[in-house]
Amino acid sequence: MKPALILLGLIVLIALLGPFALDWRYDAIDWDAVRADPFTPGHMMGTDSVGRDLLARTLAGTRVTLGVAAAAALVSLVIGVAWGAIAGWCGGRIDEAMMRVVDALYALPFMFVVILLMVVFGRSILLVFLGIGAVEWLTMARVVRGQMLALRERPFITAAEAAGTPPAAIVIRHMLPNLAGVAIAYLLLTVPQVVMIESFLSFLGLGVQEPMTSLGILLKDGADDMDIAPHAMLLPAAVLVTLLLCLTRIGERLRDRFTQ
Amino acid sequence: MHDLIRRRLFTALPTLAVVVILSFLLMRLAPGGPFDGERPLDPKTREALMSAYGLDLPLHEQIGRYVWRLAHGDFGPSLVYRDFTVTDLIARGLPVSLTLGALALLLALLLGLSAGMAAAVRPGGRTDHGLMLVATLLTALPSFVVGPLLALLFGLWAGWLPVSGWGDGAPSYLVLPVIALALPAAGAIAKLARAGLAQVLAQDHVRMARARGLGWPRILIVHALRPALVPVASFLGPAAAGLLTGAVVIETVFALPGLGRYFVQGALNRDYPLVLGVVTLYAALIILFNLLADLAYGWLDPRVRG
Repeated sequence: MKPALILLGLIVLIALLGPFALDWRYDAIDWDAVRADPFTPGHMMGTDSVGRDLLARTLAGTRVTLGVAAAAALVSLVIGVAWGAIAGWCGGRIDEAMMRVVDALYALPFMFVVILLMVVFGRSILLVFLGIGAVEWLTMARVVRGQMLALRERPFITAAEAAGTPPAAIVIRHMLPNLAGVAIAYLLLTVPQVVMIESFLSFLGLGVQEPMTSLGILLKDGADDMDIAPHAMLLPAAVLVTLLLCLTRIGERLRDRFTQ
Repeated sequence: MHDLIRRRLFTALPTLAVVVILSFLLMRLAPGGPFDGERPLDPKTREALMSAYGLDLPLHEQIGRYVWRLAHGDFGPSLVYRDFTVTDLIARGLPVSLTLGALALLLALLLGLSAGMAAAVRPGGRTDHGLMLVATLLTALPSFVVGPLLALLFGLWAGWLPVSGWGDGAPSYLVLPVIALALPAAGAIAKLARAGLAQVLAQDHVRMARARGLGWPRILIVHALRPALVPVASFLGPAAAGLLTGAVVIETVFALPGLGRYFVQGALNRDYPLVLGVVTLYAALIILFNLLADLAYGWLDPRVRG
């Protein structure tokens, strides 16, 4: 897990601080260096077909992708924990009905639902992560509910009930803190999923819009241009794959630690 | 078994109905109508258009008409491809997408199962570690990375295969798209098959077969494969959904005239009937696949037939 954490930290750090060390902004056009090769002075990784610095664009794209991923994962955390906690706490019929809804939603073709949302409500970045978060909370809800059911049987909850603690206080003060570990592990596992969905949408032109950029857009631009400038695709592809592998590794290790 | 099918159909049809109705309502919620152009239309023309397309009816009647036509294979007119109905477009795209998807699924099963078997024979061995590392990598690589990379390596640099177009179904045009689509699924199948096989191979009937002096190929294929396929079968439903979404990207990357490309074009152009039609079809395909996966499950594991 350590190498993955270090690598992830490095990518985040470079994406955040890198722009201060570069001469060009991600949307600035250098008319004197359109389609520059890598290692030209001023453009370490070259420029794209309209003369924008590729390194600056890749860093900006990484920031946007990670930002959207973090925000969408948080949306999914809030919905998932609330849904799972209510179902797990209430139990009985309510629990059954709420979990039926989750099962039914699992069967839907999600990517298409998100695309449908993008078509109907236009392509704003806010909607990108709201939409992704709104479809990625199902696993979180299941996990949280399972944990709630297990926790309810524990003696300290019975003790709190016997002492007359109101149910809301039991859930918030005694149960949620005990859920935190598992919830964080699944939150981290949601992040690579969201990164994938966001890049997928942006790749198709349905996600983040120009002049903003994201790893998906850079991949698409690079793929369109790859016969002349393959590095324009390879750089964002390498960053994206490294991010996905690191995030998955960290999430899986945390999950294994908290669900023994 | 018949009971299982009946039960599954019982939940499949309502799910499909919910998908259709929800997507229909979403489309009607969208701001702007199909006839909002640069200039406001003459009210009379507008009224005539609205009634020609049935848009002046109450919402529940519109949905009723849409579902009724769907049941007869009529997906309505496309708003962007003026000379085509959505049914025409689907009839053109579906064969391409089905060929692509079916070949990719076959390849994924073939690669995944052989890798899983090779890895499971000696758990913890060097082959096992190597293959599982590759499988993990493949599952982590999204299709929109694998596709362009393959096109770059084997299409542009090596020059072995064409990277764009359909070539009227010539096999060479399909090689790269099928591989790009199959690889992520192959990785997942390899992992599942290995896990399933490792469990089965540790059981007594396999030790018995070993003791009787049977060779590994025979043990793997005759004695161990069927029970070990259960987790693979349950993955087929999600795999179908994954292949469909992957196909959208792969068709865009390799410029194949499939359903996925019409879908993306429809989404970019706000061609509501086209998007609605393709989503409905996708949902039906995924539900059908889940049904098939359940049947395969019942065939592999007699305990669930009930």
